[in-house]
Amino acid sequence: MHELSIASAVVESVLEFVSAHSVKKVLAVRLAIGELTHIEADQLRFCYTAITEQTPIQDSALEIETVEAVVRCERCSYYGGPKYWDDALSAGPIPTLQCPDCGATVEAIEGTDCAIKSIRFVAQDEGLTIPAA
Amino acid sequence: MAMIQTIAASPDEIYDIELEHSLLEANAQLAKENRALLDRNGVTAIDVMGAIGSGKTTLIGQLVERLKDRFGVAVFNGDATTCTDADLIANQSVPVVQIATINGCHLDANLVGKALGKVNLEKLRLIFIENIGNLICPAEFPLGSKARVVVVSVTEGPYMVRKHPHMFLGAQLVVINKIDLAEAMGVSVAELTQDVHKLKPDLRVIATSCKAGDGLDEVTAALLAV
Repeated sequence: MHELSIASAVVESVLEFVSAHSVKKVLAVRLAIGELTHIEADQLRFCYTAITEQTPIQDSALEIETVEAVVRCERCSYYGGPKYWDDALSAGPIPTLQCPDCGATVEAIEGTDCAIKSIRFVAQDEGLTIPAA
Repeated sequence: MAMIQTIAASPDEIYDIELEHSLLEANAQLAKENRALLDRNGVTAIDVMGAIGSGKTTLIGQLVERLKDRFGVAVFNGDATTCTDADLIANQSVPVVQIATINGCHLDANLVGKALGKVNLEKLRLIFIENIGNLICPAEFPLGSKARVVVVSVTEGPYMVRKHPHMFLGAQLVVINKIDLAEAMGVSVAELTQDVHKLKPDLRVIATSCKAGDGLDEVTAALLAV
């Protein structure tokens, strides 16, 4: 259940954001989870709901989007989506680090992170200071 | 220094603030610090991952036995609660640090950083970090090691690799253990190896029997070369 560690990190970051800004109510937290991570969205939502109880961000929604993997091959210069292992008897195709073109080992460029993309909230009626994008 | 812009919010207005805040970054940063500390002291750390009963402790014990007279070796044993593995290794008279995760499912860079403070790095060249017996959770949490080794054993059945693909994507070495039992288990070492190479073609696989000693010279050489 490393989802619990991840959910704790989400809640910690959001609470930090709330205490530093003029936030009346957090409506939603949007996460982007890389396809190459092993983080399970449903378990993460379950942990998030459990941890946020009795906190100022209780009832906020956790919205999760998947970031597709992008790989790069040093041998043949392939750049794009990974090769999937379709017949691995698993519930879905497994992304691999095998080059779809030449079969060499590729480097993962995208799809390995898990990040908070954005926070949707209702502001207090005071001034609001936000870091520029 | 980030640019700060100030805007005035109307009461009850809804805002969407882009954050791009990585949740894995804090651990990754600590892992980098661990690695820098190890590099400064000329110490190589090896993260050993694998299911409960795959033979992590036995493999580490065998490797320690082969290496401890050549240079300083220490072992960090990650375990949810018990000290049994640490006790086994401590019999070999090398420094051992027990890292209790108290029901946590993986070691993290913070815990390993604390353990690094408990040993005299100047006297060491190699540290084995035995991760928690779990083939899913440790994948997302680098510790600062130079190489990650995944131990699978034939007694875990023929589908161990494809069931836990993420673990292998970040590994530098795979040890297929208990090959002396392969025939009795009806598990093919060649097929397990093929599965590994479907995930990551250049990932080195070494077949061992930690009990009989097969393959251990090869593992030792591979780890000394990382």
